[in-house]
Amino acid sequence: MKVGIPKALLYHYYFPFWKTYFEELGFEVMVSASTNKAIMDLGVKASVPEICVPIKVYLGHVLSLAERGADWLFIPRFVSIQKGQFFCPKFMGLPDMVRHSFPHLASRLLIPSVESSTDDLATSVKQYQIMEEKLGVSRSDSRRALRKAEAVWLDFRRWSLKGYEVPEAMTMALNKTQGNIIEKETVDAGHQQEITLGVLGYVYNLYDSMISLDILSRLREMGVRVETFEMVPERALRQQLTGMPKTMFWTFSDKLFAAGYHFFEKPEIDGLIHVTAFGCGPDSMLGKLLELDSVKFQKPFMTVRIDEHSGENHLQTRIEAFVDMLRLKKQMNAQRGA
Amino acid sequence: MRELYMGVDVGSVSTNIVVVDEAVNVISSQYIRTNGQPLETVKAGLKTLQRQFPDDGVIKGVGTTGSGRQLVGVMLGADVIKNEITAHATATIQFVPDVRTIFEIGGQDSKIIVVENQMVTDFAMNTVCAAGTGSFLDHQAERLGIPIEDFGDKALSADRDVRIAGRCTVFAESDMIAKQQFGFSKAEIIKGLCEALVRNYINNLGRGKKLEPPFVFQGGVAANKGIIAAFEKEINHQVMVPEHYNIMGAVGSAILARNEVKISGNATKFRGFQAADLEFVPATFECEDCPNHCEVIEVKLDGHIVARWGDRCGKWTNSVSAIA
Repeated sequence: MKVGIPKALLYHYYFPFWKTYFEELGFEVMVSASTNKAIMDLGVKASVPEICVPIKVYLGHVLSLAERGADWLFIPRFVSIQKGQFFCPKFMGLPDMVRHSFPHLASRLLIPSVESSTDDLATSVKQYQIMEEKLGVSRSDSRRALRKAEAVWLDFRRWSLKGYEVPEAMTMALNKTQGNIIEKETVDAGHQQEITLGVLGYVYNLYDSMISLDILSRLREMGVRVETFEMVPERALRQQLTGMPKTMFWTFSDKLFAAGYHFFEKPEIDGLIHVTAFGCGPDSMLGKLLELDSVKFQKPFMTVRIDEHSGENHLQTRIEAFVDMLRLKKQMNAQRGA
Repeated sequence: MRELYMGVDVGSVSTNIVVVDEAVNVISSQYIRTNGQPLETVKAGLKTLQRQFPDDGVIKGVGTTGSGRQLVGVMLGADVIKNEITAHATATIQFVPDVRTIFEIGGQDSKIIVVENQMVTDFAMNTVCAAGTGSFLDHQAERLGIPIEDFGDKALSADRDVRIAGRCTVFAESDMIAKQQFGFSKAEIIKGLCEALVRNYINNLGRGKKLEPPFVFQGGVAANKGIIAAFEKEINHQVMVPEHYNIMGAVGSAILARNEVKISGNATKFRGFQAADLEFVPATFECEDCPNHCEVIEVKLDGHIVARWGDRCGKWTNSVSAIA
């Protein structure tokens, strides 16, 4: 029995958990290919034009998994993973979007409803009842698999917190890389002026190299170090949020929001790039708030807006200019300080 | 022997070729419409330059910038291929050392560059929309039947103010038609249009930024007196337009080329004026090795592949060992 997991949206945050859970229960996990033009085209064709690009891409992955013969399509409904906070309506309505766009797939959908009080998905067991009903899994087996999944996922999070980007952290956690989880060594690209950027973006945009036009590799090629929200300890994020008159209401937007201020205050961060999908509602607030406050902290802030037909030249020009600016600034400051 | 540096800015609307000396005096400059043919345009410019070129001059370095910088960089043998923000700021800082804010409006790009102590500290560039750029004005000039060159004077001759919606080119157009039907003159409409463009520009790019004088306005649109007046009205301060306002990107890349060869001590990679006679053929093909189907751009020089780019994985880019 093959359970298909679309390589999109929160795959980039929960895959180690899901994979472990299903495999522990004896299912074969089938993952769609990394987003490519064909998958994107499939998704774009299947969705309403107004919706954001990550959702369009998700639909493409669902179709491609169905085509490849997955018996079940795992489409969780993310409602909440934090008390009093919710997901963007597109996440909450995602299974319905899939159900109504592809009626022929309705019987193959596996739709747990995620409502928990922490982002550790093993803490609320109610959502797994559906596995008992649809897959005939026993409750005790499900609980046992959950504990394994939790351990692997927590490992994944630990690697992330040590500075590993999501794909690396996933590999480490899933391969059960032994030994102490050590701080990621930064590669010296041979540039005189080392630049560290805080890159703010949802995992499903940033780590999907098709959507983000591979901004992370582009930055790496320029010798830039990158920090992202999932590398910031939960404690530091919470601390930022408690000091705020009002927070963002959406869980991951809140995490980005907090990470933004964390980066503003962290001396090693030279500047911030906000990668946002065209038409993202929460980001319209998040981005603007951070941009306005970036002046106070005297840290350059740039918005990179992406959609299904973003031009690579535009992106390259912007990030090149941004990095140039920061490098020259460091160089001049070093000279003047000397 | 005079050591000279060439800078080429290949933009969507215009291509500029300049030659400067060591002290950044502009020896020669050309402003040519690109007309969608960057290679042909640069070749023609190169021929013109060769005819005017001083006998005692020698090109010691070449820089390219603008959206066509890579292609033309390969053709010329550029020492520096840099983005237009860095190039523009470099030139402005050269001519106006105490500049704090640069407004640059080109054909399809517009940007604000904030400078402090001769250093770019912040910038913003239009993201997804070309409303508020030169193309927008070009298009409206055509619609009104007024040559773009006369746009500025016409705007200044307006008696009354009229507010045109400037958020989007399409909406601006329908608003203009409505205002014409209300009986506003062409001059007044044009003035309203200039103000709409500036308002949109400042709202989009300038929000949250502390814009300090001296203000320098450059790019092709800086030729338009109506826009200059609209800027001064919007920010309530004098705006300076440098002498070489429409070729600043090219001048900047010439300066960057000078700096590059000075620091590296390398001889220039410039192919010489004969580059204009070489047969450069750019072509694209779709790579079918994976589902990405990247559109790879390939440039051939006399039948040999000299550069490739556009592939996500780098397989084709790296297959060309040395981009001469």
